[in-house]
Order: sequence, then structure tokens, then C-alpha cells
Amino acid sequence: MRGKHRIIIQNNRLHYEFEIKRNITIIQGDSATGKTTLINMLRQVENLGDSSGIDVISDVPCRILEGRNWKILLENMAGNIIFIDEDNEFINTEEFAEAVRGSDNYFVLITRENLYNLPYSVEEIYGLRSSGKYQNTKRVYQQMYQIYSNIQDVPVKPARIITEDSNAGYEFFEAAGREKGILCESAGGKSNIFNLIRNVKDEEVCVVADGAAIGPEMNRLYKQAEKAKNITLYLPESFEWIILKSGLIEGKDLQKILEEPEKYIDSGEFFSWERYFTKLLVNMTEETYLKYRKAHLNKAYLHDKNKRQILKSIEGIVL
Amino acid sequence: MLSIYLGKMDEAIYYPPTYFDNRYEDEWITEPLAVDMIKDVDHSTVIGSHLIESPVLGPISVKELSGGVKTLILMAFDSSGKVFNASACGDNCAGWILKIGELKDLTINLRHIMDFGTERFEAKILNTGNTVHNMAEFIEIAGQYV
Repeated sequence: MRGKHRIIIQNNRLHYEFEIKRNITIIQGDSATGKTTLINMLRQVENLGDSSGIDVISDVPCRILEGRNWKILLENMAGNIIFIDEDNEFINTEEFAEAVRGSDNYFVLITRENLYNLPYSVEEIYGLRSSGKYQNTKRVYQQMYQIYSNIQDVPVKPARIITEDSNAGYEFFEAAGREKGILCESAGGKSNIFNLIRNVKDEEVCVVADGAAIGPEMNRLYKQAEKAKNITLYLPESFEWIILKSGLIEGKDLQKILEEPEKYIDSGEFFSWERYFTKLLVNMTEETYLKYRKAHLNKAYLHDKNKRQILKSIEGIVL
Repeated sequence: MLSIYLGKMDEAIYYPPTYFDNRYEDEWITEPLAVDMIKDVDHSTVIGSHLIESPVLGPISVKELSGGVKTLILMAFDSSGKVFNASACGDNCAGWILKIGELKDLTINLRHIMDFGTERFEAKILNTGNTVHNMAEFIEIAGQYV
């Protein structure tokens, strides 16, 4: 499945309205904001259809997945937006992650747990809030808001950079940082970032990680950064996305892809967006001097003109 | 005192709201502590042990309270000795968990880093045996387990 889908779910008292555009969306936040009520309404529609008295406006079916038989049910579902409430413990299993990988469905998961098996985006972690009455009706208007929308107080001039990446992305930041006297170290994966930043003393540190898949880490990274004050989180989609956005690579439709990636990224093919951007960059540079490989940075990206062009598109750090 | 076990805990009640629906006692709902928690978290008024007035949904039954407030009521009044998963509660329940922990010995399971606010508090982390006194100390340990 691909694309952005606008969904309205309403009855006489409540009007939910939001857009879903990636394979995994998380809803969490305060209690009593209407998360379970949303699921209950969708369950009633699923069981009773129009006679439930609930309107669902969506270009794709919105379904509920729950219970012990979830795997069998999911095997027979395609092209749906699937909502799963927080009472379903299976969402934090490797078995569920494998089922999401390659699925032709989008998933909306209600949970405060950090689902380390799933690569969800920092941009797709939402809370629900009431925005008053809907268009002069009695209905309360329920909207989603991004929980981590204002975290990136960038750009920064750090004394140290910590990259999630240990390959091409790290090599680029290490080389660019060295010229400015900025130390760069690799965390060797997103799950190690927390352990590195909890030992940070007084120096200004900037963490560079793939926003497209950093979601499960955000609970602890955000709280640690918020507490420390001298730690900034810079979370572009991925290093490859930075390169594609820099204008260094010319390609048909690239601008359109970057403006609306959801139109091009199929959930059945890509577990998360950063994998798509890597494949796109590899394909677009295949026969050129900028031939990209994630495992090791092509030195052409460090040529002065190319490097400066990439640095211009890095909004998070002054290098 | 409040004790917290961080991460997956097999013996904990994973989804307390369903446990609540099947095990709550009418008299819990009209206890002053429950009335205050329902008012604060759900912005709803307890009319009686069988009726709540919600500003959004109108008159509702006890079973339509939020999952967070149901979990708080279990923590306060359930005497079965069960440990409840407090990740069914949002941060707007955190102050009440601290308060219940001051009133009685309370053990909870947490599977995310709950925000207990900026004030000093006391909680024993069962995974390590440490006692934490503020969010900074709590994040330091909790980040390694959830």
C-alpha cells in the first residue's frame, strides 16, 4: 500500500479526523483523550456497518485487528489501514514485526511501549487532543498532533557529533567535522545512542540519527536530551535523504519524490522510508562517479564542491 | 512507598482496564480519592457508583471511564496483590501514582519512561534495588530497561 489517506470517523458526539501516510503510525499520549473510544467506534462499524450509526470516510477500509487469532486474520488482509488497541500484547513481538514487514497494509498502533522490533518514524508518533466543537455541531473535534514536533532546536554548533550510522553517514560527518575540529563518533546503531548520551558532560553534543526509523528510541532519547539541555537531536529521514535533497544528484522526478515520498514508497516493499531512500540513491548514482554504497563512503562525496553542497542541505548542524 | 519494575513482567496484569471491568467494586467509585482522580484525569463527575457524567460522552457507565483512571483506581483499591501495568496510564496519571504510593506500598510495572514531573519524588526500582528521587535519576535507570 502507498499514499496518504485522510480518515474521518464520526458519530453524533465525536469527530475524529487525521491523515495516515506511512506503514506504521503510533498513537500514545495522555489518558482520557479518546484513543479507546476511537477503537470502539471502529469495532462497531466493523461489526454492524452503516447500521452502527457511525460514519467512516476513507478511501481505503479501516479495520480492527485484535485477539489471539491476529496472525491468521492478518494473512487475509490487504489494502487496509489496520488499527490495533493497546490491549494486544502481540504488537511488541518479533512475530508481529515480521508480519508488518512486507505487508500491504498500514498499521495504526495504540501503545506507550517502545516497539524496538518496528522501524517507525519520529514524525509518526502522535497524541490525540480535542480541538473544540466541529463546525458548529455538538461534535467534539478530535485531532492527532505530533508528540515530537518541536524537538529540533537547530542548527547547532556542537563540540561533538554522535551518529547512529557507522558506515557512509558516519564517514561523511567524521570527515566534515574533523576539518572544523569537531569530534565525531559512531554509536554503531540506534540502540546504543542512549548509553552514549547519558555519559555526556558539559560539552555541546548533536546526535544525528535516521528520523525515518528512530521512533522506538524517542521515549528515552528525548527525555535524556530534555534533561541534559546540551544534547540536540537532529533527525533527518536518513543520510541518503540528505544527499538526495542537496541537489547534488540530478534525476527525473526526484523533486516530486522528495515532496511526497508516500506516493512512491510501497509498504510491501520497504519496511521504512530510509531503506527506500538508500535504494533510490544507489540506483540513481549507479553508473556515475558518485556511485553510492552504504557500507563505505565514495570519496567523491568529500570533494570540496560536493561536500559543501551536501553540507548546505544539513539543516541541523553548522559545519 | 512506590516500587517500580521496569520492562516486561510476566506476572503483571498487562491491560488493567479489562481486569477493572470484571473486578471493580461499586464502593470504590464513590471513594473521595476515586472521585478526585476521575475529575482530574477524565474531567468527569461521579454521580453515583453506577453513573458518571462525562463532558464529551454525556452520562456514561463506570466501564466507559478511561483506561488510565481505571488503572489508577485498581492501584488504589484492589487488594488482590496484583501488579498492574502502569503503561496503560498517560503522563496525566503520574502525579496520582505518586500520591497512591505515599498512601500505601504500591508496586507497578512500567514499560515506558513515564514523566513524573519536575518535583522530587521517591521510588524504588526493583530491577536494580536503587531508590530514585527525581526524573534525572529515573531516566538514567529506566532508559536501560524500557
